Amino acid sequence: MISLKNVSKSFDGGRTFAVNDVSFDVREGETLVLLGSSGCGKTTLLKLTNRLLESTSGTIEVDGQDIALQDSITLRRRIGYVFQGIGLFPHMTVEENVAMVPRLLGWSAKKRRERAHELLETVGLDPKTYARRFPEELSGGQQQRVGVGRALAADPAYLLMDEPFGALDALTRDTLQQELLSLKERLNKTIVFVTHDIFEALALGDRIAVLHAGRLEQIGTREEILKKPATHFVRELFAKPAKQLAAFGGML
Amino acid sequence: MAGDSWIAFLSERLPELWLRTGEHLMLTGVSTGMAILLGIPLGICAARTWWLRGPLTGGVGILQTIPSLAMLAILLALLQKIGAIPAIIALTLYALLPIVRNTLTGLEGVSPPVLEAARGIGMTPRQRLWLVEFPLSMPVIVAGIRTAAVVSVGIATLSAFIGAGGLGQFINRGLALSNTNLILLGAIPAAVLALIVDGSIAASQWGLRRRRSRGSRFRAAIDRCLRPVALLLPVALIIAGCFAYFSTSTASSNPAWGPPADDGQTVRIGTKNFTEQLILGELMAQLIEARTDLRVERRFNLGGTMICHGAFKSGGIDLYAEYTGTALTAILKQSVIVDPGRAHETVAREYRQRFAAEWLRAFGFNNTYAITVRKSDATFRNLQTISDLIAISGTLRAGFTAEFSERPDGYPGLRRAYGLQFREVRDLDPALMYQAIANREVEVISAFATDGRIAAFDLQPLRDDRGFFPPYQAAPVIRTEVLQAHPELREVVELLAGRLDDATMRRLNFEVDVKKRRPGDVAHEFLESRGLLEREK
Ligand SMILES: Nc1ncnc2c1ncn2[C@@H]1O[C@H](COP(=O)(O)OP(=O)(O)O)[C@@H](O)[C@H]1O
Ligand SMILES: [Mg+2]
Repeated sequence: MISLKNVSKSFDGGRTFAVNDVSFDVREGETLVLLGSSGCGKTTLLKLTNRLLESTSGTIEVDGQDIALQDSITLRRRIGYVFQGIGLFPHMTVEENVAMVPRLLGWSAKKRRERAHELLETVGLDPKTYARRFPEELSGGQQQRVGVGRALAADPAYLLMDEPFGALDALTRDTLQQELLSLKERLNKTIVFVTHDIFEALALGDRIAVLHAGRLEQIGTREEILKKPATHFVRELFAKPAKQLAAFGGML
Repeated sequence: MAGDSWIAFLSERLPELWLRTGEHLMLTGVSTGMAILLGIPLGICAARTWWLRGPLTGGVGILQTIPSLAMLAILLALLQKIGAIPAIIALTLYALLPIVRNTLTGLEGVSPPVLEAARGIGMTPRQRLWLVEFPLSMPVIVAGIRTAAVVSVGIATLSAFIGAGGLGQFINRGLALSNTNLILLGAIPAAVLALIVDGSIAASQWGLRRRRSRGSRFRAAIDRCLRPVALLLPVALIIAGCFAYFSTSTASSNPAWGPPADDGQTVRIGTKNFTEQLILGELMAQLIEARTDLRVERRFNLGGTMICHGAFKSGGIDLYAEYTGTALTAILKQSVIVDPGRAHETVAREYRQRFAAEWLRAFGFNNTYAITVRKSDATFRNLQTISDLIAISGTLRAGFTAEFSERPDGYPGLRRAYGLQFREVRDLDPALMYQAIANREVEVISAFATDGRIAAFDLQPLRDDRGFFPPYQAAPVIRTEVLQAHPELREVVELLAGRLDDATMRRLNFEVDVKKRRPGDVAHEFLESRGLLEREK
């Protein structure tokens, strides 16, 4: 379980807050979607969770232990992270990219290789074709799959995914969403998934946390949020796509 | 020169060409290697520590702006040493800038998302450096190394000035002797070497690139074999240099890199970088070789007076020919003494006290500076003495050696003594000075009285009617320590005393300068004709 208690983060010494007094729990095995428009503090929240950033106040606990008291390097190796900009290592093959965390953990070359091939299968890339390629020889969707593979490599209990499908076309995004759902079934991970796309949030999230300007507006299952929006902002947020659907639904 | 004689010239010089090329490669290789070992960590520090960035890049940038010869002279003064070590240090300092700067640029160019990913998956700072930042900035760093190495090949030609060998030795000697073939023998291989070094590092860059080879399986296989080979080409080049050096160095008389000759049985003879000095050096060397059991190491062509004197003072050379006037004014900073005998006594006394060195008996000639004009001008404008120049000096252009322009017994003093004010004064290399007056680019030069080219170029020295120039009696100077260890040296070297009058010296200089013969051959011929080479037991 990951739990945030009154977490705040300011980049300018307390004048403005990118994350403002946020508290919620991520339950064991669930997929929690952080939903919010650009700049509302989603990425900042994820980075705080694996200590790429340090919080200004509040505490974050992973498995009941305050992360501020843990070694940040060990912590990061226990938490899989799919980055918003993917950030594959351009000078390494797909196989080497995926096997990076195992390498940091000191696995043997043979074990790393087996694991990399297994993971490529898991994320839907044929190892025979792709293992020896370099990132620039892959499409955007394939790169994103490698990014997911890299995050899963050391079999972490937690997976943080920062708009992983944000830069992809609608069709590819849909495929990858479906695959993520089936992956979730098989792997039983606790996932924090960041998106600005309402439909993606509804499709993937066991629960959804709506963020606005650094504050948590509401957290709950899709039914709770759709039926009982806690704030004006949440109501407006979900009303807009409904209106759009009403306008174009007939034509589609 | 016709094709045949070029070939003869080349084949005769080939062993030495190998040796010098080897030295050149070693100078460049060692200094570039040190610059890599030093520059990359410095670049990393600059990239990591914001307040170090300015001072570091600024500092190595300033090093780059110091003129090469000045750098060599400064190092010589600081280290009190001639030879490969100061040369390597100078080259290393020059090579630092491109390497530090490119390391910094390379590290800063690594894309932020990639760096963030490296941090986010749990790499330690050190792992980030070795696994991500370094490999990604490698192409830029290697490009810096490539620049550094090529620049080094060029600058290394100057290290011959301080006796570090290399291809510059030919260029130096060629300049000293006005011998174009010798200059080309150094310059062309140096240029070719620069191209080869550049090419080998370019190949190494290609070998570094990790890309899947496209195209056929055959092509891929070739790539796989060739890449490691290409990667190691620069190393192979340095090894080849060492090989060229060590396979020929035994045959040569003065390897700059050899073990220091302090076995007590070797006399190291130095010379400045002009013809007369080379001939005097050879005369002394051949006499010692013929008449004693000592070995001679020739460390010839050591820049100007100050470099030669620096080497002598620090024990880099044991014996060389100095001029009383030069020693008095330029080295001891004393005033002019007109009487030749008293000048010799004074410098001998001072050298004994200050430098633990002995002046032996003078060779006989007085190689004073001679303010010289074209013979045609002398006749036409009726010029006989320096005073005759006073009235017209405002219309004349002068070409002086750099040393003459600066020395108190040179132009500064001359101007005061005669009230001369030339329209223009140019600093010229001694070898170019005669060419310049013959080509009518200047009207007045600071010739040497014993220079063979005065006759060859149809020039007329003017009489020093106010007695400004002190006597420049040439004599051997030797370190007392060496003389005490081998007292027989005095007798052997003094066989030359009084035997070289102005006319004789001028003739010997003429043989080399104008007839393009080798100083060694001319010296040998002279010694033989005087029966000085037979060893009486
Ligand atoms: N390193 C940083 N320095 C200063 N401000 C930052 C930094 N990172 C993010 N911010 C600010 O924090 C706010 C939230 O950013 P972010 O968490 O990236 O938003 P999101 O991921 O929801 O689009 C933004 O206003 C952004 O400008
Ligand atoms: Mg973001």
